[in-house]
Formats: sequence, structure tokens, C-alpha cells
Amino acid sequence: MVFNTGAALLDAIVLAVVSREKEGTYGYKITQDVRKAIEVSESTLYPVLRRLQKDDCLEVYDRQFDGRNRRYYKVTEKGTTQLKLYETEWKNYSSRINGLFEGGESA
Amino acid sequence: MNRIEFMTELAALLQEVPEEERRDAMQFYNDYFDDAGEDKESEVILELESPAKVAERIKADLLGQQTEKEYTETGCQDGSRDEKHMPARKETDTGDYRYQSSGNGYQEYRYDGEAQNTDKQKPWSSNILKVILIIAIILVGAPIIIPCALAIVLVAAACIISLFAFFLAIVVGFAAVAIVGVVLVCAGLMALIPEIAVGLALIGTGLILGVIGAIGTVAGVKLCIVIIPGICRGVVWIFSRPFHRKAVA
Repeated sequence: MVFNTGAALLDAIVLAVVSREKEGTYGYKITQDVRKAIEVSESTLYPVLRRLQKDDCLEVYDRQFDGRNRRYYKVTEKGTTQLKLYETEWKNYSSRINGLFEGGESA
Repeated sequence: MNRIEFMTELAALLQEVPEEERRDAMQFYNDYFDDAGEDKESEVILELESPAKVAERIKADLLGQQTEKEYTETGCQDGSRDEKHMPARKETDTGDYRYQSSGNGYQEYRYDGEAQNTDKQKPWSSNILKVILIIAIILVGAPIIIPCALAIVLVAAACIISLFAFFLAIVVGFAAVAIVGVVLVCAGLMALIPEIAVGLALIGTGLILGVIGAIGTVAGVKLCIVIIPGICRGVVWIFSRPFHRKAVA
């Protein structure tokens, strides 16, 4: 892809992906889902998840799966608020860029 | 490289990060391999590139957070990070700079605003504080430090002078013995004519003393040659120490 995905956008995408699962979701699935939308190397996702967890936007819990403990990530209340802000920001941003591209007809 | 090799190497590379961070990262990648399944193991390893790359990413992110923590500790307000992180509502109306900066990646995104200013001011204020402290110590301590220093210098000088005198005395003493020996030999030669026995005895004693004196003088001079430069070096070293230390501080 020509455009870089910055830290804020990556945070927003990860929050969006995790928030789609009410029960929470796990690292491998998050990575796969994020990679459906953007090109990102697998080693990038862990630091993002860890950071969001430390910022109290995500919470983790372990659940038994297939005879082992699997770590699940779930969006917190703070994470939901943050995601809403990101979404508003993104709408503004993308509509302005779209307007520019489409010749003054701002959406 | 297989999964076990990958995880072992990753654990080794993460030795320097806090244990909690290491355990969390290890659990994540262990889960990751489990969920990817055995048949995708080599694919995952290929995607992750190398344990070094994974470890580097983790460390880089931790480093960014630590620097931020430092900023808050130096008095930057606690909420600053979250405010920075969150897109502020205000910006929606005025035009958005956030997405411009996002192209530059994590690190740059995180270091902005006043955090940097406080960082720059810190060494300046602590230097001033140091100078003030030194001046205060000099002012308060002057009546005590100056006489004490004078006394120490004088005692040291007295010690050095007496050491020199001691070694000089050894040399002079032996030289005197040698001279006495020579004189006795002369006296013995003169006494030979009236009384042979007394003369011979004087000559013998004189020769013995002369030899002892000569050997002692030579030995004393040698001793001085060895010891005096040593003392000089020691003195220079003692006096240069405080200056060296000042230069380092």
C-alpha cells in the first residue's frame, strides 16, 4: 500500500476489530482480521495490543480452549469511547480528503 | 528454524525487559503458534521474520513508554498522554494535524508538545542548583575549611622536610665516619715513630672506620636516589588528587 498506517490509525483498527466480538477475541484472530483490512507485519500487532491493554482500552482474560489457556482481549468502556472518537475523526478526515479528490464537492 | 527454536531465541533476546513484559509477550506468541496450528508453523515463522525482529519491536515500544513515564515524573501533567493519544474534539473544527503526523510512525507520534520542553529545561535548572549549592558550601564552610586546609598543608610539608633531613643525616653520618677513619689513619702514621703499637692500632681502626664510612656513604646516596624521587612522586600525587576529582565532577 502507498499510504502509511500510523500509530493512531492502527490503534483504531485494532480497537474496531476487537470490539466486534462481544465475548472478546484472541491474538491470532485479531492479527488475521486486521490483515484483512491493511498490510501489517505480524510482529507489529503484539506491541499495539500490549499498549492498548496498558492504556486500559483493552482488558485481557484467560479462558480454557482445547485443553490449554488462551488469552482473550476485550474492549473496555474507555476503549469504546476512544474508538468512537477515532471513528468521528476518521469520518471527518476521509470526507475532507474525498472532497478534495472529487473536486470541491465535499461530502 | 522451528517453533521451539524460535521461542527459545525470543526468550533469550527478551532477557533484558521486565519479567512481566517478557512473560506476556511469550504467552502471546505461544498462543499465536497454537492458534495458527501445526501446519502453519513454518508460515508463521516466515511472517514473523525473526525472533530478533519481534524482540526489537517489543523493546522499541517499551522504550517509548518509559520515556513517556519520565516526562510525567518530571511534572508533566498525568493526563497528557491520553489527551495526545486521543483525537481531541477541538481539532475537528480547526483542521486536523493528527493524520499528517501519523505517517511518521510510533515514536515521533509520541514525543510532541510540552513534554519535550520540560526535558530540555531539566539539565539547565539542575546545573544552576549545583552552582548555588557549591557557593553555599564555600560560604558556610570557609572559616572551618581554610584553617584546616592550612594545617594539613603545613603538617604535610613538615613530614616531607623531616624525611629529607633523615636521609640526608644518614649520608652525612657515614661521610663523617669515613672522614674520622682517614684522620685516624693519618694520626696512626704519625704515632708510628714514637710508639709502634699505638700507631698500628690507630691505623687499623682508621682503615676499618674509613671503609665502613665509604660503604655507608655510597649506600646512603643510593638509598636517597631511590627514595627521594619516590617521595616527590607521592607528594605530587597527593596534591594533584583533589584537582583531578574536581576536573571529573
